[in-house]
Amino acid sequence: MSLDPRPLVLQEEQPPRPAAPGKKWVKSVRVQNGIDTEVWEEVDIDSGSDGPTWGAREDLRLLNHDLRRIDGPEKVTGRAVFTHDVRLPGMVYAQVLRCPHPWAKIVRIDLAPAQGTPGVLAAVVLEGEEVKWLGRPIVAVAADTPEHAEDGVRAVVVEYDVQRFAVTSEQSQAPDAPKIAGNRDNVRVHETDGELAAAEAALAECDAVVEGTWRVPVQHHACLETHGVVVDYRGGDSATVYASTQGTFTVNNDAARELDLKGAQVTAVVEHMGGGFGGKFGLGLEGDAACKLSKQLGRPVHLLFDRASEFLAAGNRAGGVHVLQAGAKKTGELHAFVARVERHGGVGPGSNQRQPYIYRPAVSYAQVKSVLTNTDSSRAMRAPGHPQMSFAMEGLMDDLAYAIGMDPLEFRVRNVPPDRRADYERQLRLCADLIGWNSHPHRTAPDRSEGELKVGIGFALATWGGGGRPECKVEVRLLPDGSVEVYSGTQDLGTGTRTYVAAIVAEEFGLDLAQVTPHIGRSTYGAANASGGSTTTASLAPAVKHAAWNARKQLFEHVSTLIGVKPENLRCVGGRIQDVNDPDSNWIGFKDACAAVGGKGISAQGEWQRNLASSGVGGAQAAKVRVDTLTGEIEVLHMVGVQDCGLVMNRMATRSQLNGGMIQALSYGLFEERVIDPDLGLVLNANFEDYKIAGCKEIGLVQAVLDDGDNRRGVIGMAEPAVVPGQSAIANAIMNACGARLREMPLTSDKLLMALRGAKRG
Amino acid sequence: MKAFELIQPTSLDAALEALPGARDTKARDRVKILAGGQDLLGELKEHLIEPQTLVNLKSIPGLDQIEHRDDGSLRLGALVTLARIEEDRALRERFALLAEAAGAVASVQIRNAGTLGGNLCQRPRCWYYRHEQAVCIKKGGSECFAYGGLNKYNAILGGGPSYIVHPSDVAPALVALEAQAVIRGKRGERQVALEQFFTLPSEGSVLRENVLTSEEILTHVIVPAQSDAPWRSTYIKFRERGSYDFALSAVALRLSMDGDKVRDARLVLGGVAPIPWRCEKAEKAMVGRKLDAQTAEFVGKLALEGAEPLEHNAYKILLTQGLITKALRKLAN
Repeated sequence: MSLDPRPLVLQEEQPPRPAAPGKKWVKSVRVQNGIDTEVWEEVDIDSGSDGPTWGAREDLRLLNHDLRRIDGPEKVTGRAVFTHDVRLPGMVYAQVLRCPHPWAKIVRIDLAPAQGTPGVLAAVVLEGEEVKWLGRPIVAVAADTPEHAEDGVRAVVVEYDVQRFAVTSEQSQAPDAPKIAGNRDNVRVHETDGELAAAEAALAECDAVVEGTWRVPVQHHACLETHGVVVDYRGGDSATVYASTQGTFTVNNDAARELDLKGAQVTAVVEHMGGGFGGKFGLGLEGDAACKLSKQLGRPVHLLFDRASEFLAAGNRAGGVHVLQAGAKKTGELHAFVARVERHGGVGPGSNQRQPYIYRPAVSYAQVKSVLTNTDSSRAMRAPGHPQMSFAMEGLMDDLAYAIGMDPLEFRVRNVPPDRRADYERQLRLCADLIGWNSHPHRTAPDRSEGELKVGIGFALATWGGGGRPECKVEVRLLPDGSVEVYSGTQDLGTGTRTYVAAIVAEEFGLDLAQVTPHIGRSTYGAANASGGSTTTASLAPAVKHAAWNARKQLFEHVSTLIGVKPENLRCVGGRIQDVNDPDSNWIGFKDACAAVGGKGISAQGEWQRNLASSGVGGAQAAKVRVDTLTGEIEVLHMVGVQDCGLVMNRMATRSQLNGGMIQALSYGLFEERVIDPDLGLVLNANFEDYKIAGCKEIGLVQAVLDDGDNRRGVIGMAEPAVVPGQSAIANAIMNACGARLREMPLTSDKLLMALRGAKRG
Repeated sequence: MKAFELIQPTSLDAALEALPGARDTKARDRVKILAGGQDLLGELKEHLIEPQTLVNLKSIPGLDQIEHRDDGSLRLGALVTLARIEEDRALRERFALLAEAAGAVASVQIRNAGTLGGNLCQRPRCWYYRHEQAVCIKKGGSECFAYGGLNKYNAILGGGPSYIVHPSDVAPALVALEAQAVIRGKRGERQVALEQFFTLPSEGSVLRENVLTSEEILTHVIVPAQSDAPWRSTYIKFRERGSYDFALSAVALRLSMDGDKVRDARLVLGGVAPIPWRCEKAEKAMVGRKLDAQTAEFVGKLALEGAEPLEHNAYKILLTQGLITKALRKLAN
């Protein structure tokens, strides 16, 4: 009997006003000035009575708070087992021979020298006909050590008939270019929106017209843990596949096919994984090879990419060229818009790069083409297409704002879709406050004055869906000793899934976070969607909540008979279950309640609940940079990101996502670019020395702010919008600082120096 | 990497014994010297070299000493790590330029393992050279792919027939300090000015960057006592990525002063030429001048005289002139 016996105060007898259409008033308990207080709350009529709700934000004890990751200590101490770390008895190591040419026909493959290499146990041919991109796997070799596997790979003899290739967009569009996809053209028009003549006529009506060609390079996912699997099949009717994947359930069925087993006979395991960013779905060609080798040898096979392979054959973010022309009226209206977009997706078509991005011109025309090249196909990467569209569109927006002498922030507010204006405006103005825009001296024109060190500020917006889907099945078990276990096959990409899964259940039962044990990353647990499109949390969290709610209902039915209180009058608080009307006399400890249930315990299932998820997010970011006009150095001093995402599960982890998104965008903006020599066709920077990513010295103050102005009650994913606007805001800040508009990423010092020199000459 | 034999000699003589004769040109690639391994391991892993034997200098005692000698000179063993050069208090006070240069190398981890000798003898970073499949002129091929290729990081001075840049940070600093290289060979010891130690692709063999023969080991570097007049020095390195990167351009500057006028100057550039690039004309022109904006502009022009940028690296002229301005300004204050 330790609970503080404070009185429950009913503040108002009657609701303050009649309920709005579709709403009703309910009494709910909030803590006000430290006292439990019953207040009237207006809620949707369909929520509340017959299913779980998240409850009022103020009432949440764990959710929407900062929660330390429960697997953090395991990760930072190295105890966490990633796929790379899996070691099994009798395990062998596999490596892959990759095609060294952008395009070649395979005349002959001789495995004998590899098979004769010390330590080599098996070699299989994966491709014997034709290869159209450098890096495609041709042969896989398994050996007793990784070193022997590499020796084996280098011993394989392949005779190639090297073909003429096109690795750049220019080569691919040359009149005599080789046709990469059979008889089809290398260039394909994917979509055309609007009337060109109308858009051109509208341009003529504008007070200012600007134009430019924006170029974005191919970016790599650059996951710290490379792609790969450990396939453990020693014969019989079961196998285990440990995979570094974004989808537990995208692996087992593919593996079953390769192993001639049924899907349920293969268990996929994703205990921890070191980053995916959209590039890790399915088993892949190399995973197929590992299955083949494991089946052949009857031993576990460890096949993880080396770093060069990760750059050559693990996908990428498509590059592109955006040729934009737009005009505005002096009033600040974005009036006319013409876009011609090229997507560079390698042997694939590349993903969505539609224009105009976010902003709504009165009249617009856009054509999107894809240009095939003999390079590794692009894959999904964190907000596919959005950062590319953003870089071009947001640059154009600033150029236009300056052309009509308007503050780019106000120009943005004026031209976002009207139904989203309130959110974007709130987010932009908060960014402006935090980054110091209101006292910045150059708000309507770039600072073109002489000077060595110059500071500028830029803005950009994001948009994303992030909603959930009915794909997850979750089980919550209460055991007689009071332990609470949650089971879901879902995977944690490093975003903190385990922590919020435990928190949702702990919240439901009034327990501490540590009292709930989450079990994830195994295909024998309940089904879960793959982590793509920021849909994990909005799909999983509602199902977890539903399972916890069902488990609590079952528990309350037992407790009801024990203490003689109706189930609907029970609640969980501070490790006990009590009568809401008489908390001091009628109660039972949570553990005792579980013990009373008996040996069978409680098992409850949960599925996705529409009312627990929402979708649709925006987000605004700002960057402040300092440029050195003597050296071209670009230093990002400060970035601010303001992000909405409905109900937040774990504020700390959500800010981490926003932080990580901003840093990844900074790195994309300033450094990242796949470099291919057009004549040799070779990738020149398939390593972390020459493929540069931002390090700690490149990252200034990064301020991640959750937009609490978003009062939606559902859960929404937000990892993707976080990565969209950063590089655009940085490019705009450079322009604002010194009047140099860099339209080609990465935004490096050499380009800035040459642009400044050009500006001086001009 | 390919398997190799590791020899761990305990004396320089034993190490020399393991090296092939100078005339055995084919053996040159069969035996390699290992110090900190920060460059060599990369070359082995990328299969740029596949030696049969590595001779590990780290098993030889005494090559890791920093000696501040009574005559004001400094004697550094080839195995002194870059981190120790950066952190040695007396060295920092007396030869700021060298400590700054050592501290500008790569990352903390690399400076902890990387040695002075290894840094001076490291191979080029050009991405064509570092690509196993690109058999460029530095690897026995006939062409410098950078010349007509993607040459943003390549040489604007002293290039041809190879257009690599020397990647060392401490080399320009040591050349500015008029350091000497101590070289032991099978036939005894020789000492060469570090300025003469490095060779242009057009002078020596295009396959090498210095005068060391296959039977020689760089054992020490001696930095002489500097001018009696008050002198100051600095090393300014420009990196594309600050956290760890090779120089796009770097300026090593040592000045002795007569009041507010330059008495004597030594200006050496890094990251722009196949060797540490000494700017003698600019050095002479500085004498008698004040360290002001006009001098900076004048010196910047002279230092880059004769620069021949390739398609993608004209920015290096502007950048280097900017760095010269900053270096002069720093030493004026």
